[in-house]
Amino acid sequence: VKQLTRREALIRGTGLGMGLVGLMLSVPAVGFLLSPLFTKQRLSWVTVGPIDNVPVNQPTALFADVPVGTGYPTPPVKRVVYVVKRPTGEIKALSNICTHMQCDVHWDATLGNFLCPCHGGLYDIDGNNVGGPPPQPLAQWKHRFSTDAQGRTVLEIENQLDESI
Amino acid sequence: MIVSRWITRPLKTRMRAGMEWFEDRTGATELLHKGLYEAVPKKGGWAYALGSATLALILLQLFSGIFLLLDYVPSVSDAFNSLDYLRSSDGFGAWVRGLHLWGSYMLIFMIGLHMLRTFLSASYKRPRELNWVSGAVLFFLVLGLAITGAMLPWDQAAYWTTVVVTNIPHYLPFIGNGIRTLWRGGDFVGPITLTRTFAIHIWVLPFLLFSFIGAHLYLLRRHGEFGAWVNYDTDPGEDEEKQIGERIRRAEPPYPTKRIERRYAAPTETVPFFPNQLFKDVALSTGLIAFIFVMGLISGAPLDGQADPATLTYVPTPEWFFLPLDQFLVVAPTNPLIAIGVFGVLGIGAALLLFLPFIDRSSERRPLRRPEVIIPALFMVFTVVFFAVLGINRLYNL
Repeated sequence: VKQLTRREALIRGTGLGMGLVGLMLSVPAVGFLLSPLFTKQRLSWVTVGPIDNVPVNQPTALFADVPVGTGYPTPPVKRVVYVVKRPTGEIKALSNICTHMQCDVHWDATLGNFLCPCHGGLYDIDGNNVGGPPPQPLAQWKHRFSTDAQGRTVLEIENQLDESI
Repeated sequence: MIVSRWITRPLKTRMRAGMEWFEDRTGATELLHKGLYEAVPKKGGWAYALGSATLALILLQLFSGIFLLLDYVPSVSDAFNSLDYLRSSDGFGAWVRGLHLWGSYMLIFMIGLHMLRTFLSASYKRPRELNWVSGAVLFFLVLGLAITGAMLPWDQAAYWTTVVVTNIPHYLPFIGNGIRTLWRGGDFVGPITLTRTFAIHIWVLPFLLFSFIGAHLYLLRRHGEFGAWVNYDTDPGEDEEKQIGERIRRAEPPYPTKRIERRYAAPTETVPFFPNQLFKDVALSTGLIAFIFVMGLISGAPLDGQADPATLTYVPTPEWFFLPLDQFLVVAPTNPLIAIGVFGVLGIGAALLLFLPFIDRSSERRPLRRPEVIIPALFMVFTVVFFAVLGINRLYNL
């Protein structure tokens, strides 16, 4: 076994010290940096409102104050829910978040399509992507229906989408 | 005893003694002389002022940016209000914000010109490869600062910029979703998105920026300003080799440049940086800052309505310098090819820019005799401009 000289021991000790400092500081720092990856979003249901008056085949924008559910507490954010009633009786609660770059799409009655103003994405009445760059259909909000005291059908959504976009 | 003797002397003598003491302790004057009296090529000084103008504008951004922090609050509920307050009640604050915006526009423009002139004069060639690489990194850092800065006001324009830009990484395979979540602090844009972007804009990118500026300037001084081919002409009447030998012998620091073709080791004629080059540097920077000063006051910085994630009418438009990129998003083939289209093509473009000195290794410096690099580069510039025009046409229906 080769004997460690004083010089070599000092160099190694310095390196070890600096390495330890780097390790100690990077554990909390990197953990903090990565925390959104393992912090769960705080989920909650909000009432959008009664939807009995929404006409069939005419996507209608309703608004709801949706909690963000991430980070420090902030006031809920106004969001759009496009309620689409089909003649079959099917009811959709589409988000208006474009699946391309997440701009706000709107129903264009003349086109008969959802139109994204950012890059010209088009979706049909069911939210299927039919033109432009969007790679997938509009997502629905996680939703459920209830009946209020007057017997109307009320739409409620959770602050997350049904599928990831 | 010593103090009393010093006090009884005439003021001028005392001043000089004080200066000598300070110089003796710090070497400040010596350092200043070393900085000011270096030789620079005589011809083309106005073109070499583009780099210093870029630096001046970066310092202006630092200056105006620090002052904006006197008011700005990086919170989703208050960011807009803090800037709206400037607009409605604090004219000087609004002016400073105007300086910061117009400064950023001019900075991007000047970096472009500075890169163009460095490219045309082939100043990036041996041994100045890393001058170019560090400069290209600085260009990307400035673009990063521009886009993160555009997110901070949290008005409509800022909010939708944030949504689109933070969404782009998620098209990266495997790690994309993770990057988007880290930047946004969750699936959706929220309070953490703004604080993280703020931290990147205020500390992370500036820290990197000034580190790379230090390296860029150190390398400039180490190899000397290359100038352009006009500084290395020889008199056709006489022995070329003799002329080159002569100017290498007469060269003043930092010339002759080492590890370069003999012909380009020392310019034919040089002038001291101070005052010859510095005058041109200051003249250009003064003109630019005067323009920013005026535009910051009369045009200022726009502020849309407060961020509204539920808008059905707002049409987001990107900042002008990101128009080509935005148009690229339109034409990039749809999923899953967006990843290849966006990251592949842009990645290759960025790599070509970054590693240009290792691709173009010939000794030729004249632009007209380097068609093999000039023509592809012009084609790329043309493509970028073409995309910008397409984008303008799409967004403004001209």
